[in-house]
Amino acid sequence: MSKEKLTIGEVSKPRFEFRTFGREFDVAAYLMSRLSVPVPRKVWERNSEEIYIVSKTNDVNNTKIRDGKMDIKTFVQEVDGLEQWNPLMKGEFPIKADTLKNDVFPAFKVEGLPTLDKDEYTLEEFLGMVNNHPDLQAVNVEKERYGYMVNDTICEYAVVYINGASLVTVNSESTEIDDIKKTIGDLELDGVENINYLQAIKRVIGMSDKKLAN
Amino acid sequence: MVTTIQPRYEFRVFGNNLKKYEDKIEELSEKEMTREMDSIYLLTPWKRKNNVKIREGVMDIKVLEQEMDGLEQWNPFLVGKFPLKADVIKSVVFPALGIESPVFERKKYTLDQFINEVVCIDPDLAVAYVWKTRHAYTVNDCITEIAEIKVNGAYIKTICVESEDPAKVLEAKKLLKMGDNIENVNYPLALKRVMGLTKLPGYWNKIDF
Repeated sequence: MSKEKLTIGEVSKPRFEFRTFGREFDVAAYLMSRLSVPVPRKVWERNSEEIYIVSKTNDVNNTKIRDGKMDIKTFVQEVDGLEQWNPLMKGEFPIKADTLKNDVFPAFKVEGLPTLDKDEYTLEEFLGMVNNHPDLQAVNVEKERYGYMVNDTICEYAVVYINGASLVTVNSESTEIDDIKKTIGDLELDGVENINYLQAIKRVIGMSDKKLAN
Repeated sequence: MVTTIQPRYEFRVFGNNLKKYEDKIEELSEKEMTREMDSIYLLTPWKRKNNVKIREGVMDIKVLEQEMDGLEQWNPFLVGKFPLKADVIKSVVFPALGIESPVFERKKYTLDQFINEVVCIDPDLAVAYVWKTRHAYTVNDCITEIAEIKVNGAYIKTICVESEDPAKVLEAKKLLKMGDNIENVNYPLALKRVMGLTKLPGYWNKIDF
């Protein structure tokens, strides 16, 4: 069976991902830049502002809002320490009360659905509901992302600001597990913990007492 | 001999791009010392006039005495070294945090016992683990510092100017070109913003704030 050719910025079948977060990944970032094939100019550097909704009781659904659009991914499986996530739901604000009731709040896996007495809700109204819920928190995340392609895997080095405090992250993602494993080795990241966005954010905001990779 | 601590007036900023102020400090002062330390801050979502932290096994509380001309005057007092008596935790620490004291199962608590058995199970309390690299300077006779800090592993910088004499701090601010529009942010407030325990002002999450 031939491998699917990945193209940065385009939709593929669900990918496996290795990602980690810490204070410093200079060596991995350098190796990534040197080992990368040329990539499209549009992914050289990308900046974005996002809001992640984190829930004390959920580690399997990852909810983020960018440019007024909500995107929920769900954890599918872990193979050899790599994580596979699938899109679960996409929505746009103003968002229907039915969507909040049937799709969004169930994904947070919290008790106590807020009273929904309107047909639809703006982003500000939704964030108000989140911030009033004792088990939910909205977290501001700014990203400066630098894209690469190593061993046919989509790679990225990024500086991430979580409520204003900075971290760096490196990742490798692909439909092909062996390509990611080779990339982890080539970037000298063997043995480094796979930490996804949800976990990194929870660690910074104190919802989890685990440490970051460095 | 009884030593009286004179509470200092403080002006502090946090951010990721404070280079213009750092350059000015280094222009006006030699670096005198660098110290590394870790601290544990205890936080609640509510606005309190207390800064409760543990460093090297010792708990201290700073009380916000007053705000004047955009400066904050903080008065420190020592609670004690762990193990701490439950009575002290109940009568001093929880009132300072502004939350109801739980029922204590021990008469004394080590730091680990206090964190794991008292703090972590209280839904109204959050813990910030803070690692600081503090560089000391003197500007206009004020204690001045540039510090790199990690808040639960995430990085941010802070600059502080403090003195017992508020006029000296205000003059130091002018020398450092810190305008009246720059917000004075104390440690508990900065930590609460990073941890999402309080609303972020619009400028806070900007990379160049």
